[in-house]
Parts: sequence; C-alpha cells; structure tokens
Amino acid sequence: MAERMVVEPDRELIARVMASGGADLKKCMQCSTCTCVCSLSTEQDGFPRRQVLHAQWGLKDKLVADPSPWLCHYCGDCSEKCPRGANPGEAMMALRRYLTTQYDWTGFSRLMYRSEAWNIGAMVLIALVVVALFTVPVNFGFGLLSRSGPAALSTVMLDKFAPKEMVHLGDTLLASLLGLLLLGNAGRMFRAVTRGDSLPLSVYLRNLPGLIVQGATQKKWKECEGEDAFKNWARHVVLVSGYATIFILVVVFLPWFQVQDHSFHWSSLLGYYASAALLGATTWMMWDRLGKRGEMHRFSQFSDWLFPAMLFLAALTGLALNVFRLLDRPMATYVMYVVHLAVVAPMLVVEVPFGKWAHLVYRPLAIYIVAVKRSALESE
Amino acid sequence: MSAKLGVYICTGCAIGESIDAAQLAQVAVGECHAAICRTNAVLCGAEARAQINRDLGEGAVSIAVVAACSPRFKAESFNFNHGSVVERVNLREHVAWCHKPQDEDTQMLAEDYLRMGVARARKMEPLKPLTDEISKTLLVVGGGVTGVTAALEAAQAGYSVVLVEKEEKLGGRAAQVKKHFPAAPPYTALVADGLQASLEAALHHPFIRVFRGTQVAGIKGQPGMFDITLEGESEKQEIRAGAIVVATGSKPYDASRLAHLGYGISPDVVTSVEFERMAVEGKIVRPSDGAAAKRVLFIQCAGSRDEKHLPYCSSSCCMTTLAQTTYLHEQDPEAEAFVIYKDMRTPGQYEQFYREVQGQPLNFFTKGEVSSVKSGADGQLTVTVEHTLLGESIALRVDMVVLATGMVPHGSEQILKLAYRQGPELPVLQDGFADSHFVCFPYETRRTGIYAAGAARAAMDENQARRDAAGAALKAIQSMELAARGQAVHPRGGDLSYPSFFLQRCTQCKRCTEECPFGALDEDVKGTPKPNPYRCRRCGVCMGACPERIVSFHNYSVDMIASMIKAIEVPEEDEEKPRVLALVCENDAYPALDLAGLKRRQYDPSVRVIPLRCLGSLNIVWVADALSRGIDGVILVGCKYGDDYQCHFTKGSELAQQRLQNVKETLQRLQLEPERLQLTQLAIDEWDKLPALFDGFVERMRELGPNPYKGF
Repeated sequence: MAERMVVEPDRELIARVMASGGADLKKCMQCSTCTCVCSLSTEQDGFPRRQVLHAQWGLKDKLVADPSPWLCHYCGDCSEKCPRGANPGEAMMALRRYLTTQYDWTGFSRLMYRSEAWNIGAMVLIALVVVALFTVPVNFGFGLLSRSGPAALSTVMLDKFAPKEMVHLGDTLLASLLGLLLLGNAGRMFRAVTRGDSLPLSVYLRNLPGLIVQGATQKKWKECEGEDAFKNWARHVVLVSGYATIFILVVVFLPWFQVQDHSFHWSSLLGYYASAALLGATTWMMWDRLGKRGEMHRFSQFSDWLFPAMLFLAALTGLALNVFRLLDRPMATYVMYVVHLAVVAPMLVVEVPFGKWAHLVYRPLAIYIVAVKRSALESE
Repeated sequence: MSAKLGVYICTGCAIGESIDAAQLAQVAVGECHAAICRTNAVLCGAEARAQINRDLGEGAVSIAVVAACSPRFKAESFNFNHGSVVERVNLREHVAWCHKPQDEDTQMLAEDYLRMGVARARKMEPLKPLTDEISKTLLVVGGGVTGVTAALEAAQAGYSVVLVEKEEKLGGRAAQVKKHFPAAPPYTALVADGLQASLEAALHHPFIRVFRGTQVAGIKGQPGMFDITLEGESEKQEIRAGAIVVATGSKPYDASRLAHLGYGISPDVVTSVEFERMAVEGKIVRPSDGAAAKRVLFIQCAGSRDEKHLPYCSSSCCMTTLAQTTYLHEQDPEAEAFVIYKDMRTPGQYEQFYREVQGQPLNFFTKGEVSSVKSGADGQLTVTVEHTLLGESIALRVDMVVLATGMVPHGSEQILKLAYRQGPELPVLQDGFADSHFVCFPYETRRTGIYAAGAARAAMDENQARRDAAGAALKAIQSMELAARGQAVHPRGGDLSYPSFFLQRCTQCKRCTEECPFGALDEDVKGTPKPNPYRCRRCGVCMGACPERIVSFHNYSVDMIASMIKAIEVPEEDEEKPRVLALVCENDAYPALDLAGLKRRQYDPSVRVIPLRCLGSLNIVWVADALSRGIDGVILVGCKYGDDYQCHFTKGSELAQQRLQNVKETLQRLQLEPERLQLTQLAIDEWDKLPALFDGFVERMRELGPNPYKGF
C-alpha cells in the first residue's frame, strides 16, 4: 500500500493565492474542461485543473514541486470555457506569482508581492542611492565618478561625468550579484521540482540544447492555439531581442557603446533597435492591458503594470540620453544619464531575482525539466 | 337483429386514392347488411357529421361504423350523443398510409377491417355509467410537510380533508432541521423557517380536520366510498373518504450497518441527522469529549448508491451536508469542513447554493472513496480516501466524521391496513417505494384512488415534497370527480365502461382476483370474486384471465374480439396469401403503429390488427379461434414488463406472456409450431421497428408453411 499524503491545508497559501489573482478559485467544480481545452496540456502533465484543486486545498508541497504553472502561456482558453467562471487562467497566473515568492530564498520577493509600499519604497531607495553616487562624492570632493575634475559643461564629455570603466564595473557587479541571486532561486526551483528523481546526467545533457533554444525563441508559446497566441509570442520575441541586445551592449560592450562626445558610433544603431523594440512592445502590452484585450490582459495587478512601465521608462530615458548627447546638450545628457540609471537599477534589483523578470529563467527551466522527465520515461 | 347498421366511409386523407371505396361499400351493404352506407370525402366535416347525426336521430341507424382515420383522432367529431353505438375502423393509418395503393391485398385488408368493425359493433351495447353516491372528502395519512401541503392544497381547492398524524405534533422530519433549503431566487441562502406557517394554517383551516396522535386502524371499501377507522390515544373514529393521499415519508438509513465508515467505532462518527440535532441545539462538539469540532469530514453517499446498502441516490443528502457546513462555520469561522463525495448532486436551482458554499475558503471538496475511518490514541480520527481528484490517495486527521446517509421508505410497514384481498398495504417494488407507472403517471400507485406523495413515493427533499404534495392532491381530487361521474382514472381516464361478472358460471378458480393489477376484486369464502368497480381501471386483465369467459364490458368482451377474428376472410392455402393476427395494446403499441403509418412506412398487408386495452386482457380462446380458422400466426405487441416496466397496467403484458407460454404447450400437441405465437415488447419511441417486426413475422410464417387448419 503506497504511502498516503497527509493533508494539512496551508491556509496562508490559500489566502495569498486568492488575494493575488485566484479570487474565483473556489468556484472550480473540477469538471476538467480547462485541462481538455488547453493546447499545451498533455496526458502526463495536465493542467490547470489539478493545480486549481491543489490551490483550493492549500497543498503547498505539491504546488512548489509543480512545473505546470510555468508551462502555461496564458492563452486564456481555459478561462473562456470554464463553465463556473473560476478563471483558471488567472489562477495559474496567481500561482506563478506565488511560486516566484516561494523560490526566492531571501524573502524579499514575498515582501514585495505582499506590499506595494515596500516595493515602491525599495525602488525609491535604490534610485536615491544611484543619485547619491553621482552627487554626493562630488559635493564631498571625492570625485569618485568625475575623477578628472568637474564635469565639462560646455560640451558633452560623458566619460568625464561617468567614467566608463567605473560604470562598466558597476554594471558587471550588479549583473553578477543579481545573476547569482537568480541562479540561487533557480536552483531552489530545480531541486523542488526534481525532488526524488535521480536521473542520469546524460538525459540532462541531451535536452540542454532544447533549453537554450527555448530560452532564445520562447517557441513553446507558439503551441498555444488561442487566436492571440502568435501575436503575443511574436511581440514577446521582439521584446526579448531588444532587451538582450541592450543588455549585451551595456554589460559587455559598454566601453564602445558609451560614446563620450556627440559623435555617432555604429553601435548606436543596435541601441536604436533595442529602444524601438522595447518601447514598441511595452507600449502595445500596456495598451492591451488598459483595454483588457484578450484573456491574458483582463486582470492586471501592480506587478503586471510595474514591469512593462519600468522597461518603457528605461528604454525611453536611454533613448533620450542618447538624443541629448547627439544634440550636444551637456547638462541634459548628464541629468538624463542619472535618471536613466535611477530607473534601470531599481528595476533590475527588484525585478530580476524577486519579481516578474524571474520568469525569464523559471519558464525555460520548467519546460526543460518536463522535457528531461519525459525523455527519461521514453528511454525506459 | 333489429339493429340498423350504418356504414360511413371516408375517402379523404388519401384513403380514396388507396382503395376502391365503391367496392368497400358493396361489402358493407352486401355482406354486412348495412341499412345505410354513405361515402364522403370529408367525413369529419360539418356536413357529413350532420348527416350521420340525422341518421341516428331519426332512427334510420342504431349502430354506426365510421371507416376513416385512427380512433385516436377526431374523437370529439365522431362522438354522437344518441345513446347509440359507434365503432371506428382505421382505414387511414392502418391501410391507406402504410400499404400499396390500388392493390388487391390492400383492398382485401380494408374489406376485412370493415367486416371486423361491423362484427364488433353488432355485439356492442350503449354504455350505462355507474351512479353511486361518492364522497369527496380527502384522507391524508401523514402530517409532515407533504401531508400538510396536500391537505392545504385540497382545502384551498374547496375540498374537505381529514389529516391524520401518528405523532403528537405536525411537521415530521422537515420540522426537525435547523434551516431549510432555499426555495426562491437567488437560491444562495438557507431559509430560517418555511414550515410553521403551513402547520398553523392546516390546524386552523375550516375544511381540514386534524387528528394528531392518531393512526389508521383499517380501511374498507373502494374509491369514492372508503370507510376508514382511525384510532387515537383514547378513541376511535369512523370517517368516509373518496380518495387517499399517503404522505408517510421515509426514515433515515440505519447507520449501524456502516461500521466500515466508522459508525459505532467512535462516538465522534455521527450521521447527518445526529449532526443536525447538534446544530439545532446550538452546540456542535465532539460527542466523545465535548471538545470543539475544528475539523469535520463529511462522507457523502454513506450507504447510498451502493449495492450492499441502498442502490439509489436519496437526492437531498448533498444539500444537507452543504447546509451543515454553513452551521459549522457559523459556530466557528475557523473550522474546516472536508466533503468527500461520489458526485455532488444539487438538483435544479440548488446548484446556486452549491456555488455559494464552494466559495467558503475553509470548505474542501473532492471526489473520492473512503477506505477507512480509524480512531487514534489521541482521540482524533484518521480517514483515508482513495481515487481522489488530487491524483493520489490521502489521509486526513479530523475531529468528527459525519455520514450523509440516505432515506428509506416505510415499505410494507402497517400503515393503511386495507381490507383488500390482495393485501393490506400498497405494493412496493425493489427499493421499497410504492411503485406506479412512473414514466406516465407518477402519483398513481397500484391501488386506485390512493396516491403516494413526498418521501413515501421517492427520496426527495422538502421543497420537492411540497410540489409533490400539490400534484398528488390534484390527482386525488381528479379521481373523486371522475368517480362521481362514473368514469375511470388513468390510464383510461374518462372511461364510462366497467366490467360485469356473470357469476352464475364462475368456477372460483381465483385467477381474476389474483391477477387484477389493482386488487379491484375481493373474494368471498368460496373464492367467488366480489367486484369493486371504483377500484377498477377497466384494463380487462380479469376478462383475459377467466377461463369461463364470464367477464365483459358493454363495449369490450371476449365474444366481440372473437367475432372480429371470425370475420377475417382467410384465403385458401393455394392462394398463397398468409394471414397474421396482430393483437396490439392501445397504450404504446397502437399509437406506435399509427406513427408508422403517419411516416408512410410500408409493411406486409397480410397483418390484421385488433387493438386491446391491455395485452393482459388477452383471453386464450382468441388464439384458439384464430388458429382454428386457419390464421397462420398470432403476434402480440405491447409494453415492456419487468422491474422497470412500462406496461400501463403494471403487469398486463407479463400475464399475456405467461398465458401464451401455457398455450404453446397445447399447440405442440396439435402439430402446430410454437413459433406461430409471439409476444413483442415495444415502446412508443420504437415505432420505426414495427414494419420490420411485422414483415419478419409474416416471412417466418411463410417459412413455416400455411396453417394446416386452413379451410376446415
């Protein structure tokens, strides 16, 4: 006789999930229409019916070990067809929010999702730190950033205001720190989902290319059969390409990308692409959210606005900074530079390991683990 | 024969195109000796009918045979109130619409039907209804929500009611709940009280006499004149009533048989009735130690939908559990309720209530099978559940377990004490509920004038019981009014005929008194039947059973049908035209045949159809008559019998089958193949099978070869 799971509902989980998108969770009567309609659901890994039931029952151990919420790409067909109006699509979204807060070992994620005040407060604090980094040393004569004396005010000389080596160092340090935190969280997720499995390394290696491809192309999304699926996927790929482009430019190639005077460098073209992609995609996303177009955009929580809004601002300020530089407006350039960093730094710190950004890792990882388990079964 | 026969032939509705009406008229006048024979293209029209009325009124005709459409149509049109005899011959659905037009065999069929109709009409007599003094007082047995509602409905319709309740108080089980199920939109909240007002109204209504603490000591007589003895604490009462509504309800299933679910193992395993009592008293606590019940597990279908206990669903237990979760949360908002179900059944608008209760975050639902309920050393109960929707087996540690048990009818307990030869109580079927033809006539029981309602009839909840009570009261009123006019109740509603018994020739074989589906016949000490015509449904089962053929109706007798059979012209063997007699029941089979005609399905014209009131009225002499005249085979088509019977008189077709089996043995001694006799069970929705059925039977008769008795 198999070991029976002893049920102890986690009432906190239930309250949390219901408060963050799963308000209609209890309406589900387990008819399974959602799972039947879902194009990404398979016989071995069906969702979202069971996940909704697990959430109704507050079964934390089961949910934390479940990769299904990350397989879902919120086409919304399940919510559309649900005869009870239990909103399984939004319930899966609520589970993604919940899991994000659970994978994070620091506890910050939980804090930020629970309280908008803390979220905004943290971002304001980081923004202030960034501003301080540019203003405080100068006032105290440290000249930490403008080592070669006060910034040039007659013409743009960016490297005097913000020496690229220092900024580059800062970028790299921040990226590494956030990367490590994120990696840690990803590791926790990995351990939770693969708990109990001891699969040979070869299976993991065999499926690794798939992980990379998925991460780059998000192609799983195209398997959704909803009418908006292709548009949503395409828009997302553009967004990711823009983000990746600017990320590499800033973290790897900053010495070339940060042009110090008002001359033109060809790397700016890539920057323009990235800006256009980011601005276009985020505007479209926010537009859809505003008009509640499509199931996925019907419900917007604070975290759903914050991410695209911040990305939009980051791209906008970055573009503006470059425009002011080309127009040889020194003060405008320097101010916009600080503003830009004061937008980007809080956004990254709050989002990458603790917020919505983290899905960039969790989704491909979940798809990867499911593929690994499946191929292990097949080879048996 | 001083009777004057008038034959009226309609040529409308394609009849005229199908047969030679003039030739048919020849048969009417020449062979049947009709005094008058008229043909008309619109026989149901005002002009033609006026003519028939004139013929009858002037005495030119005393027996009218209307050869036109099916007798199921234009009944009002061809109803001539002259105290004369009118017989219908079906030339439309059974001739013109289902056989080849302008064909020799079709013509022979039409002519045979005319001969048969005339033969029968000549033996019919005008109907003389019963005219006894009928009581229009309604007796309601049982003073719960059903009985009280039935009493109020009847009283509000202007009828006197006697309401009898064995307990000291009215209200029954519905008065013992904390709150009642919702009965009005939006159906999302329980109702604090729904019953008190009705109970008060019943106690004070001028038309209702209430006897509390009283039981029925005996019932004699028949509908319209039931003589009832009531026995109370100290006194006896004699009352007379015209109809009875049985509203004695049900009782909870005996949970002592549910030890496998923990009952009796731990005092903290209770039934939903016991839980309700706790809720009414305002204290839901663990019976063992009085501690708070912080986690309660409800097991649905406890001893229900289970071959080892009750095979049926009791319809209200899921609602009861949902209501009880609200009591639990009312008492303690932090308490948790787990509901383990086979299915959640909240019929009709109760689904809104289920949705509402689902919304409570501390209610947890899953389908599953409880495999064990064990008591632990710490006093907690551990419940294991298999095959859950969670995808695996689970174990739950809880404070209390509530078994949602079903309800059981009182079955053959002594309630009515009828002085009927066939037994004192209402006959019951497999589940112990008083059965009836539930498909068509839900309130009817197998005792005319006695109607079962509420949980005595079928497992149901309070709101359904109210509706049921209204329906049963109406049926009871209807039966009294029909009785006052000398008319029968369902299925032969309005029938003025009734059976007469020529008792001088009775041999006391007791077949009729035993076989009557409604116990209409009592017996004297010798076994001579004593008819109670108001108990009778006019099916004719007694007529079919009697080997001496002493039972007959004025418009339906053994002789009439035998004459119809003898009127059939049976061709000689060398003509190679077989003849098959089809005895077809009027309830489903005849309408099914009409439907086949309506749909223009064609079948073999060798078949001669005679409608019977019920296959149970089959008298074996007809089979003998048919075979001895050279008819090649006899097929009976009637309603399904068995546990889920559709026979409108409950067991008529079953009796016919038994009689046929007995006859088949005799056939073999006469060198006749038993396959020449067949009984087929058919429902009205199977009308499309009839052509193939008839064709197949005729084909088999061809294969068997002609009846050797042809031409004798």
